[in-house]
Amino acid sequence: MSDHTNKQFDAEMESIRSGVLSMGGVVEQQLTRAIAALEKEDDAQLIDAVGENEAAINHQQIMIDQQCAQIIAKRQPAAVDLRMILTVSKIVNDLERIGDEVKKIAYKARETYGNARLARVRYYDAAQALGNAMSMLRLALDAFARLDVVAAAEVIDRDTAVDAAFASILRQLVSYMMEDPRTITPALEIVFIAKSIERIGDHAKNIAEAVVQVVKGKDVRHASAQEIRAEIGQP
Amino acid sequence: MRPVVRQGLVAPGIVAALVLMTLAFAGSGAALAVLAAGAAAIVGHHLWHLDQLTEWAVASLDAQVPHGSGAWVGAFAALHRRARNHAAHERDLRQVIERFQQVAAAMPDGIVVLDASNRIAWANPRAQAQLGLELAQDQGQPIMNLVRQPEFLRYLETGDYGESIVVASSRDAGRMLALQLVPFAADQKLLMSRDVTELEAVARMRRDFIANVSHELKTPLTVISGFIETLQDLDLDAGQRTRFLQLMQEQARNMQRLVADLLTLSALESEHNPLVEERFEVAPLLLELSADAKALSRGQHEVALDIGDAATVHGSRDELASAFGNLVSNAIRYTPPAGTITLGWRVDADGSGVFEVRDTGIGIAAEYLPRLTERFYRVDRSRSRATGGTGLGLAIVKHVALRHQAQLEIGSERGRGSVFAIRLPARRVERAPDSPEHSPGTSDPDSAKRASGEDASTSTGAQRGTGP
Repeated sequence: MSDHTNKQFDAEMESIRSGVLSMGGVVEQQLTRAIAALEKEDDAQLIDAVGENEAAINHQQIMIDQQCAQIIAKRQPAAVDLRMILTVSKIVNDLERIGDEVKKIAYKARETYGNARLARVRYYDAAQALGNAMSMLRLALDAFARLDVVAAAEVIDRDTAVDAAFASILRQLVSYMMEDPRTITPALEIVFIAKSIERIGDHAKNIAEAVVQVVKGKDVRHASAQEIRAEIGQP
Repeated sequence: MRPVVRQGLVAPGIVAALVLMTLAFAGSGAALAVLAAGAAAIVGHHLWHLDQLTEWAVASLDAQVPHGSGAWVGAFAALHRRARNHAAHERDLRQVIERFQQVAAAMPDGIVVLDASNRIAWANPRAQAQLGLELAQDQGQPIMNLVRQPEFLRYLETGDYGESIVVASSRDAGRMLALQLVPFAADQKLLMSRDVTELEAVARMRRDFIANVSHELKTPLTVISGFIETLQDLDLDAGQRTRFLQLMQEQARNMQRLVADLLTLSALESEHNPLVEERFEVAPLLLELSADAKALSRGQHEVALDIGDAATVHGSRDELASAFGNLVSNAIRYTPPAGTITLGWRVDADGSGVFEVRDTGIGIAAEYLPRLTERFYRVDRSRSRATGGTGLGLAIVKHVALRHQAQLEIGSERGRGSVFAIRLPARRVERAPDSPEHSPGTSDPDSAKRASGEDASTSTGAQRGTGP
């Protein structure tokens, strides 16, 4: 390839990378809003904003996927570059799923407004768990920007904490429901919220695994934390 | 490089000298030979110096200028001066750069230097902390890959950097950052970041406050103008007229109270209103307050007084009287008839003086306690208005306490009563030399038992808004 084509190719690769991160930024903003929706009572504007942005995320996913397909068709990249393009495609998919979960959380939060007994679980436990999931995503995206496998490994580690938070919220809700059957309907909504949060943690973990894969060239999707640490050369 | 240079200059020199000398010997006698030898020596001398000079010129910048002799002394000395000046100049420049970097690092705002394609060239520690950057690994990284807020991306793309933008930090939940881009040089940019969380909170509080005040004034005004219309339009009998006028007067009083409280608050907040430092005895003030309490209660409650230690207090008597008075009137308004209100004063072992009002009223649930200090915060709106609360009473108490470096302590349990206490620091309290063990006026011996077990929660520094 000539020098000129090389440069153009580099620019195209850079552009899909930045595209992923800009899409990530929109998803992060959605998460900030969803946390506010859990903490506050009755902010219809906020929830509408989450709904509207969801469409923008879907559009971004399609655009980036098209870009990836074009690069493959035009340049027939090999080795690292091909790995990067395939990874981008995977990450974009996870980001889009997180977007879906965030929308669900915001809409479900609205259903639980006005219930004083469960408000505490919603605006305290659930919002905090979502905050943890969000920091996982932030760390995963940073790891992708920096191609930092150590940070990626940390994200994979943190997923356990988000899973534990899910179990704890569930236990609390069960005790509320046994105490007072009237709380069952709103409690079930919060169960869905907690499940969505747990899913967001999983998607963030997938992104981190994709980062390890693009850097190390190894599929670590089903590897244990220990195996991943060994792979990236950490004790 | 060096051996080549040496060969290049010295070797031909020696060859030339040898040739000259051979020619001399072969040709014409001793005089010519001496001349030739002298010429060879001079050539050799110059060539040696030239060699030294070349060696210096190709060496590193801080190499010593060689010492010369003969005609070379002047030339080498001039070069030496030049090199020294150059070194001094460079040192100055380096100092300027270092100082500049130190200044940039010490700036309270974050600064990131971006190159033509928006990649990170440099960032001060503040910016690294605020934006989650790490200079060592992020140099050369496009800024938008790490500062991913969509608002920032849009701002970066518009190219219109006249105003800053405020974005939510993605690193620190709840923090707000103001970001501004400043183009410099040909195509570089500075990104300045500043934490504006507090500023934003103040701005929001101000907006809320104005909205609240307007609302609080609007409600009684609506009632009054409604009655005025009724009085104008309908022919009412004397009894009805009197009743309506009474209701109007009540609403007007509510507005008066609100305006008075607002004025008090603004006076307390004013910077041009330093605290009046005077000395006064606590006991007479408490007697006054208890008399006021009895008048306010109209005999519906039992008002007890529990003065533990006679003492003198340093501070503003008027302000403290108004703060204590607010606590007393709250207690009366939120205690059902036949309840007991106890006004107490004691000096604790650490020397701090505690004024407290204990009631057997409706109490406040624990989750509302932290918000009580907020202006116009009411746990039960209708009840507060019905009893003539303005929503500002505890805000006033808080301000007075702050001005006296005192703490407001609240303990309350729903349905059982509340304790509101103002703890004055030891340096404001002077215990009377021979204070009596227990002063007269305590009507309820149980109320002397201070750390009551029913105070489920105590939150220091939190307060009750004028109406739970």
